[in-house]
Amino acid sequence: MKPEAITSLVARRAFLRKIGRAATCAGAIAATGALGVVQKAAAKSVPAPSRGSFPTPDYDWTQHRWGFGVDATKCIGCLRCVEACKRENNVPADAHHFNTWVERYVYLEGETKARIDSQADPQNIAASGSETEYRFDNRYQDAKVEKAFFVPKLCNQCEHPPCVQVCPTGATYRTQDGVVLIDSKYCIGCQYCVQACPYGARYFNVRTRVSQKCYWCYHRITRGLQPACVEACPVGARIFGDRNDPQSPISLFIRNNRVQVLRPETGNAPNVFYVGIDKEVG
Amino acid sequence: MPKHIVRLVILLVASGAIALIAKWFFTAESFYQYGHYRADSVPEMAAQKPVFQTPRYCQSCHSERHAQWSANNHKTVSCEVCHGAAQGHPQEGKLPIPADTRKLCTLCHEAMPGRPRTQPQVALAQHSGGQQCVVCHNPHAPKLAGVVAKVAGDAAAGNRKHAASCASCHGAAGISPNDTWPNLAGQNAAYLVRILAAYKSGDQTDVMMSPMAKTLSDADIQNLAAYYAGLSCQAAPGEGRVGDAAAGKALAKNCAACHGETGIGSNPAWPKLASQKAGYLVNALKTFRAGLRRDPMMAGVTRGLSDADIANLAAYYAAQSCEPVTQARKTQ
Amino acid sequence: MEYIAELAPFTGYVYPNETVIPWTVLIVVYPYLTGLVAGAFTVSSLYQVFGMQRFKPVAHFALLTSLCLMLFVPVPLLLHLGHPERAFNAVITPHVTSAFAVFGYAAGFYVILLMLESWFVFRPHIVLQAQEEKGLPGWFYRVLSLGSYDLSEKAIRYDQKWIFALAVIGIPAAHGLHGYVGFVFGSLKSREWWSSDLMPAIFLFSAVISGTALLIVLYVLSCRLRKIPVDLECVKGLAYTLWGFFMFTLVLEGVEFASLVYRGREGTDVILEYVAGPLLVPFFILQFGIGSLVPLALLTFMIWRGTTGRALIAGVTASAVLVLLAVLMMRWNVVIGGQEISKTGKGLLAYSPLIFGRESLLAAASVLVAPLAFLLVMVRLFPPWADAASYYASQPRDKR
Repeated sequence: MKPEAITSLVARRAFLRKIGRAATCAGAIAATGALGVVQKAAAKSVPAPSRGSFPTPDYDWTQHRWGFGVDATKCIGCLRCVEACKRENNVPADAHHFNTWVERYVYLEGETKARIDSQADPQNIAASGSETEYRFDNRYQDAKVEKAFFVPKLCNQCEHPPCVQVCPTGATYRTQDGVVLIDSKYCIGCQYCVQACPYGARYFNVRTRVSQKCYWCYHRITRGLQPACVEACPVGARIFGDRNDPQSPISLFIRNNRVQVLRPETGNAPNVFYVGIDKEVG
Repeated sequence: MPKHIVRLVILLVASGAIALIAKWFFTAESFYQYGHYRADSVPEMAAQKPVFQTPRYCQSCHSERHAQWSANNHKTVSCEVCHGAAQGHPQEGKLPIPADTRKLCTLCHEAMPGRPRTQPQVALAQHSGGQQCVVCHNPHAPKLAGVVAKVAGDAAAGNRKHAASCASCHGAAGISPNDTWPNLAGQNAAYLVRILAAYKSGDQTDVMMSPMAKTLSDADIQNLAAYYAGLSCQAAPGEGRVGDAAAGKALAKNCAACHGETGIGSNPAWPKLASQKAGYLVNALKTFRAGLRRDPMMAGVTRGLSDADIANLAAYYAAQSCEPVTQARKTQ
Repeated sequence: MEYIAELAPFTGYVYPNETVIPWTVLIVVYPYLTGLVAGAFTVSSLYQVFGMQRFKPVAHFALLTSLCLMLFVPVPLLLHLGHPERAFNAVITPHVTSAFAVFGYAAGFYVILLMLESWFVFRPHIVLQAQEEKGLPGWFYRVLSLGSYDLSEKAIRYDQKWIFALAVIGIPAAHGLHGYVGFVFGSLKSREWWSSDLMPAIFLFSAVISGTALLIVLYVLSCRLRKIPVDLECVKGLAYTLWGFFMFTLVLEGVEFASLVYRGREGTDVILEYVAGPLLVPFFILQFGIGSLVPLALLTFMIWRGTTGRALIAGVTASAVLVLLAVLMMRWNVVIGGQEISKTGKGLLAYSPLIFGRESLLAAASVLVAPLAFLLVMVRLFPPWADAASYYASQPRDKR
C-alpha cells in the first residue's frame, strides 16, 4: 500500500474510534432521555373529553355563559365594590392596582368636557386617609355642577380579547364559560397584555411578578356565588348572571335596557354591558 | 461533500431534533386540551376559597339581627360591607363592629354631586353636628321612626274636649300653670296624635296620662291635636330656671337635626321644644335616659347626658321663642 | 408599598392601573439592540450579497458586530420579565398570534444563522488557529473546526456558497426580526401613539441607519486603535448608505405623524398637547433637531461638496454619532412616549427612570456597553479585518 493510503487509513480508524466513543456516550444519554420521554408520552395521552365535568365535578363550564351589567344611573360612588374586590382577590393593597375601580364624571357649568377622577387621584387618596381605603373626596360640593355620575369599571372579558391575542405563552386565555383567566404559574411577566388592553383593566403584580386582572371572581361563580363586587354593591349598580338563563338578572338587564359597551370600535366585543353612561366614557 | 459540511449538517439536524423533543417534553401535561393554555389552571382558579360569605352565612347564628336587617332599608347592604369579610369567622374571632361610623356611613350617605337623588344623602356638618351616626340611627334599621301621623281633626270639637278634660292640668289656653306639666299650645299636631295614641295603647306609660288617654277615642285624639296645634304659644314667664342656657345651647347642637336649632324642628312627628316648661323637659329627659319613657332614639341621645347637661338643655329650650323664625335650610 | 417601579405622576385623567409604567428603559434598549443587529447585518450583506467591493473592509467586522449584539439581545428582555426562568414558555408553547412568541423562533433562527455565517466566514482562521495554537485556545479552535482542517479549493467553494445562501436568507430574517418589533407596537389597538401600519417599516429603516452609524463609528475607532489608515471609499459608501436610508426613515416618520394628526381621532388633542409640551426636548431638540437635521445637513453638504480625507472621516463619524443618538431617542419617544400618553386619551403621565436597580438607567447602559466589550474579545478570537496581512504583520515574529 502507498504510504499516503496507510496514513489516511490510520487517520480514518482513529477518527472512527473517536466517533464510536462519542456515539456510545450519546446513546447512553439518549436512552435515559427516551425513557423519560416514553413516561411523559403516557401521561400526555389523556384526551380532553374524558375529563368529565370540567373544571370541577359540581360545575360544568359548557352549561354557562356569564355576563355582567353595570347600571351607572344607580352607582353612588361608595367604593365598597373596590374594597371588597381587593379583599377577595389578593389585589395589591395600594391605590395604583385595581381589578375594578369607579370613575367620577363631573360637568361643571359652562364646561363642555367632563372632569374625571378615580382612586389613583392624589386628592382622593388623601381624602380616604390611606392607600388601602378608598373614597371620593367631595371637591365639587360647593361647585356649580351641571351633570355628574359614577361609572364602575372592570375587565370586560371580551369575546375577542386583545390581551389573549398578544400573550406569547398562552398564559392568558378565554374559558368556555366566557371568562378571561390568567395562569399565574405560566405567565412570564412580559406585560404585553397590560399594553394591549384598551381599557386599562390589567396590571403587573410586583409581588407575584405576573400580570393580574379582574376575573369575575371565577372561584365564586363556579360555586353559585356572585362576584364580590356584585355582592358588596348596596344599590344594585352591578348585575351578574348566566346569559344561558333568560330569566337571570343579566339577561333581563340586557333585554329591558338599551345597553352599551365600552370602545366598541376596537372590535373586542366586550361582555360588560353599560346603562347610563355618557359620551365621554371610554 | 466536504467533511465539515457533513458534520455541520449532522450537528444542525441533531440539535433540531433535540430541540423538538425538548419542546414536546417540557410542554405541560394539560396544555392544548381545551385550547392554547394549561387546562389544569382552570380548576386551580376555581379551587380558591371565597373570602366573602354572603348574609345567608351570617343568618345561621345571627338570625334575630338578620331578621331585623332584612326587614329594613339596609337590606341591600351586605353584612360584610360594614363588618368585613366573614371568612374564618367565628373560628378566628369576632368581626369588628365599626367604631367610626361617621367615616363609614358617609361613604354612601355624604351629599355629593353625582349621587342619584334616590340615595339618602346628608351634609354631615349640618346634619348631626359632628356626632357619630349610631347615636340616632340603628344601622340595621336605619330609618328613624319619624312617621308623621295623619292629622284630620276638628279643632272646635277638640276645644270642647280640652275644656272638659285637659285644661285643669295643661291650662285653659294650653299653657301649663306649673313647671312640671308641659305646654301644649302650638305643639305639632302629628306629634300629639302619636303620643296620645301611645299612651292610649300602652306603648308609653305615665301615671297621669295613661288613664287619661284610655278614656279618649281616636276621634278625640285627632280633635285635641288639631285644637292645640292651632293655639298660639307664648314665652314662659321665667320660673326658676336652674340651668345655664348658654351651656345648654352648645349641647342643643346635637339635637338640632330633629328638634331644630331653637327647638322648632322641621318634622312634625317630633315635638317642638321651644319655650317648653323647663321642669317638664328635665323630667322628660331623665325618664328617657332611664328608659322609663320609651324611645330608642331618645334613649340613645340621652345616655351620655349628665344631670347638669339636662338642666342646661332644659334652660336653653325654655328660653327660646316659640314663634317660628326663618329656618336655616335643613338637609333632611 | 413595595414597588420596584416608580409611580408616574399624571395630569388629566388616566386609568388607575396606568400609574405604574409597565415597559421601562430596558424596553427602549431592546429594539435599539435588535436594530443595530439588523443594520449591521444589512451592511455586511451589501458586500456578501450585492458584491459591493467598497464595503469589504467592514463586511466581516459588520457580521461579527451583528453576532455580538445579537447574543446580548435577550438580556434586556430577561431583566424585564417578571419570571425570566419561565422565558422558554414562549418557545415551548408559542402562542402564534403573539408577536413575542414569533420572536422566540425568529431570534433563535437568526442567532443560528449568524453563528453559521460567521463560522463559515472565519473558518480559514479557525482552521489555522486549530493547527497552531496549544492549550485551551487550541482546544477551543479545534472544537469549532469540527475536526476538519479542509481548506481545499472545493471546500472553500462550498463555504462561499453557504455564506452567500445564508446572507441572502439573512436579509429577510434580520429585517423580520426587527420589523416584528415595530409590529409589536404598531398592531396594538390600545394606544393611538403606537397604532400604525407604518410602524414596522419605521423601525426597520431606523434600524438600518443605526447599524450603519454604529459600524462607521466602530470602524473608524478600530482603524485608529490599530493605527492603520481608514479606507475612504468604504467610509464614503457607508455615508451614502446612511444618508439614503436616513432620508427614507424621515419620510416614513413624517408621514406617520402627519397622518395621525390629520386623522384627528379621539385623543389626538392630548397627543398634540404632549408633543408640544413634554416631548419638546426628547423629540424636537434631541431626535429631530440635533439627531436628524444636523447629521442630514452635514452629510448632504459633504456629499454635495465631494469632501474627502480627514474632513470626510470626521464629518461622517460625527454624523454617525448623532444618528445613533437620534435612533435611541426615537426608540425612547415611541416606547416611553406611548406610555406617557394615557389610554384614556384624556391624560398624560411622566416617566422618570430609576438610576439603579433591575430596570434602571444603569442596567440599560450596561446592556448597551456589554456587547461592545464582548466585541473587543471577539475581534481577538476572530479577526475580521480584510487586511489580514497587515494584522499578521503587526504581530511579533514568533506568533505568526
